Amino acid sequence: MTGAIPTIALVGNPNAGKSSLFNALTGARQKIANYPGVTVERKAGHASFADGRPISLIDLPGSYSLTPASPDEAVTRDVILGRQDGEKRPDALVVVLDAANLDNHLCFALELIALGLPTVVALNMLDLATRDGLTLDPERLSKELGVPVVPTVAVRKRGLAELLAALDGAIRTQPARTEAGAAGKAAPSDTSLHQRARAIARAATLAETPVRRWTQRVDAVVLHPVAGFLILLALMFVMFQAVYAWAGPPADLLEGAVGVMQQWVIAAIPENFLRDLVVEGLLAGVGAVVVFLPQILILFLFILLLEASGYMTRAAFLMDGLMAKVGLSGRGFIPLLSSFACAVPGIMATRAIPDAKDRLTTILIAPLMTCSARLPVYALIIAAFIPDRGVGGTNIGLQGLVLFGLYLSGIVGALLVAFALRRTVAKGDAAGFMMEMPRYQMPQWRDLLLGLWQRAWIFLRRAGTIIAMTTVILWLLLSFPKAPIGESQVEYSVAGRIASGLEVIVKPIGFNHDIALALIPAMAAREVAVSAMATANAIDADGDEDAMAQSLGERLQGKWSIATALAFLAWFVFAPQCISTIAITRRETNGWKWPMFMVGYLFLLAYAAAGITYWTAVAFGLG
Amino acid sequence: MTALLDKAPLGVAVRIARIDWNAMTDDEGRRLREFGLMEGVEVTPLHRGSIFSRDPLALAVGRMRVIIRARQAAMIAVEAAEAERQSA
Repeated sequence: MTGAIPTIALVGNPNAGKSSLFNALTGARQKIANYPGVTVERKAGHASFADGRPISLIDLPGSYSLTPASPDEAVTRDVILGRQDGEKRPDALVVVLDAANLDNHLCFALELIALGLPTVVALNMLDLATRDGLTLDPERLSKELGVPVVPTVAVRKRGLAELLAALDGAIRTQPARTEAGAAGKAAPSDTSLHQRARAIARAATLAETPVRRWTQRVDAVVLHPVAGFLILLALMFVMFQAVYAWAGPPADLLEGAVGVMQQWVIAAIPENFLRDLVVEGLLAGVGAVVVFLPQILILFLFILLLEASGYMTRAAFLMDGLMAKVGLSGRGFIPLLSSFACAVPGIMATRAIPDAKDRLTTILIAPLMTCSARLPVYALIIAAFIPDRGVGGTNIGLQGLVLFGLYLSGIVGALLVAFALRRTVAKGDAAGFMMEMPRYQMPQWRDLLLGLWQRAWIFLRRAGTIIAMTTVILWLLLSFPKAPIGESQVEYSVAGRIASGLEVIVKPIGFNHDIALALIPAMAAREVAVSAMATANAIDADGDEDAMAQSLGERLQGKWSIATALAFLAWFVFAPQCISTIAITRRETNGWKWPMFMVGYLFLLAYAAAGITYWTAVAFGLG
Repeated sequence: MTALLDKAPLGVAVRIARIDWNAMTDDEGRRLREFGLMEGVEVTPLHRGSIFSRDPLALAVGRMRVIIRARQAAMIAVEAAEAERQSA
């Protein structure tokens, strides 16, 4: 052995439990779900052998073979063959198999073992296989495959020490054959590979009872052509109602805390430039966004639960028929639903879509899914302008209903845009839809909490960096030059003057000076619109005790018409105001053409939607 | 007596008699085989579409469940499986 730390790659079929095994081995912070294609990023971590020697682990995207069908499967092949830029060829492989699915998973395993790298097979999820009535013989399997086989249960951390020991042994005793040696042997045709896989699976299976029945029973309801669809709709409706209903108390608590901090700073620092910057800029701006943390976490909790339980693939099944009508596939449903949380991971998840045009279309409509960054904007405006009462004497809140309507507008808009794109710029054959359905699984609380913590951290870090920075810059632009007595500081400032220029363009669609001012910094991230308005209002209220005591919503109520508020909501259904999304689109489409196209068409739609909403509302006397 | 998989009744196990590999792309064909769909294999159609369409089709292949489109199922000819395996 050389002194270098050995690199070990985890490879296997989708749904083999690779990510869980990776987590169990490294304790790495990452998302676990069980639909195919979740592991699209490079995930690396560290572990060590029993005697403390460190090893480096990489978790590769789930694949069915070394012949890739999608961009993320191509990554797997390239890393294993040492062709991936910036990644050295792994020194050994851990092939992860779902113990309950041997005949299929063994095909890829045989292909991998034939490469000649030191290899250990992890016979994973053995507990579920036993629950399903399978009795397996790991030793026989090891003899047939010619490599060590270690039974593991990743979620219970069973078999990990044995796996590491086998890996250590494999690296010592199975010298890597040369590239030529491995490649010289003609690859067997995939049909004969399957026959061999099935023969080995039969040999290693000691006893077998018929397939799991309760997954079948659940699916009979959940995938029912009518009931299944209603269940999906109901789930989404409950999700969006919960975002409102459950977030109230913790949000009030956070809002109170921000107020206390402002009072504390005012008491602690004498009146000067720094105090204004902290109170009116940082605390008012960042505080206005942080208040929405509870809502964002509730939304993510639902999405993580749906992924981890195995329901997400069922949702994709149900949605496929509808999505096929606009030229997409059910595959696209998973990235699109993730985009409700954030378009950035959503767009990255499109790597699992095999068809290039299908993928491009899915990327281009992903920003239309209402992401969590829009929630602060929607929540502020809805709370201020939509009455908090039930609809027709029921418990269904009008505010939640409006929120649901905004989500729905985004979805309908996305479907129409996809329909148009597939007939114009992204023309191509009908996309296919081939996917494996994982069995249902009880979500692991530890994994859910880990996932939620990651989201909370990402959101707070954004609040602490991008949002804090843009708010401070905006505060400076709003505070200088100083207005003479009797003139409005906000109007007189640099930012106020820029906004007055923009106001000319957005006036026809009912936008006022406040909004024009908020739109510019909101290019960085949508939720900055809220912090920008909070900062502008804090400056406007400077010294006025009554005005300071009012919440931002109350102040907007006094200044905006309902028509303007509705137009503002309609704008944010479509507007592409997020630098991260534009950047990730550039990365995923390899150029500026498509991100520019996306920004252009979304701004046009946003302008049209806000305009139509405003003019309609004014016609109904809400102006 | 053979029929096409896209018209096969739900819940009844059938054996794949023939797959028209030439009618599909190489990628499609390979993915079907990766799912374990090939001549001689027994499959059970389980679910078909939603209120919006008859697409897609969920199948049980051994212990795995896979989803394919009706278009692909129409390239797969099936025949009745042996009687003793039909109890569900």
